[in-house]
Amino acid sequence: MAFTLYSLLQAALLCVNAIAVLHEERFLKNIGWGTDQGIGGFGEEPGIKSQLMNLIRSVRTVMR
Amino acid sequence: MHDGTDFVASSALRPLPAPSRPSPCVTDLRSPPLTQRQLISATPSKRRVPASQPGMADPHQLFDDTSSAQSRGYGAQRTPSGLGYPAASTTPPAAFLADPMSNMAMAYGSSLAAQGKELVDKNIDRFIPVTKLKYYFAVDTMYVGRKLGLLFFPYLHQDWEVQYQQDTPVAPRFDINAPDLYIPAMAFITYILVAGLALGTQDRFSPDLLGLQASSALAWLTLEVLAILLSLYLVTVNTDLTTIDLVAFSGYKYVGMIGGVLTGLLFGKIGYYLVLGWCCVSIFVFMIRTLRLKILADAAAEGVPVRGARNQLRMYLTMAVAAAQPLLMYWLTFHLVR
Repeated sequence: MAFTLYSLLQAALLCVNAIAVLHEERFLKNIGWGTDQGIGGFGEEPGIKSQLMNLIRSVRTVMR
Repeated sequence: MHDGTDFVASSALRPLPAPSRPSPCVTDLRSPPLTQRQLISATPSKRRVPASQPGMADPHQLFDDTSSAQSRGYGAQRTPSGLGYPAASTTPPAAFLADPMSNMAMAYGSSLAAQGKELVDKNIDRFIPVTKLKYYFAVDTMYVGRKLGLLFFPYLHQDWEVQYQQDTPVAPRFDINAPDLYIPAMAFITYILVAGLALGTQDRFSPDLLGLQASSALAWLTLEVLAILLSLYLVTVNTDLTTIDLVAFSGYKYVGMIGGVLTGLLFGKIGYYLVLGWCCVSIFVFMIRTLRLKILADAAAEGVPVRGARNQLRMYLTMAVAAAQPLLMYWLTFHLVR
């Protein structure tokens, strides 16, 4: 099957890199996923989209 | 290991009177048991104390001839602490212990070893939560037996709640619903062995295939746990499911996989599909009933049907996690049964 731990590590690295190269101004704002566009009120339910945007922003901050 | 030149050079630095050296083959035979005991600063502290005492007496008992003095002297030169052992190595072992230099060497070595052990103990908890892991291995035979029965036949079990004792979950030994890591670990190892057996009966076995199977199964397990963690984060579930809990739940499917492959070896493809189908349905029901209480804690505890967008999403998540188990069970075993 050749799905080894090493290939998993490679895939994870490529995914993290893919998230890290999403540009804030040129791309995320144009599709409405910028970090200043999504944070609504402090309701109880963040929702999947805002969680995803938070995740992307965290990954980009850590990888900076 | 120790050649003659090393021997002579180190002996030149010492004030030892060095009479005729025994032949290299004789010292080679004798030095391994001695150097192990006399390398005081290199052995770990828990071995050091019992080893030093018999170490001093043994050459005296083992070797009655004069070459024992040179062997002990040779062994003393191998200590890496670099402190000289002057004429003491040619005197009887009691005087060896009374020598202040050797006392200092012993004390220094023991303090080094204690420091090293302390450092390891302090830092190991940062990477591997050892105390938390101990909880998951607190099992006994009855728990294992009943849990295995539950994994194969979960349909009659009524109460799936984990009992708590002052905010901490009860050890698996006392509560059958608590997750443990013993069964998943043993089942994983048994799965690899059974995979080797299955490959062997089909003349496809080679030793590196075992490592490949293990690595592949571990990779799928890691991927599954990461996917569950990611989806739990996205759906913002307030749950007390830890990562180790998820590893435990994902490891329970190996029990069914072993059953399926063994039946496939004994009874062919029909037996494999029957047992695998049964185990798939059992694991599906098991996971749904267990995860429902963890993920949908507030809604499902009283048994009310799930309503509302948030609860619906959580229900989908539970179903997806439970449905991934039979899929992975089939994917990881179908190539083993021909």
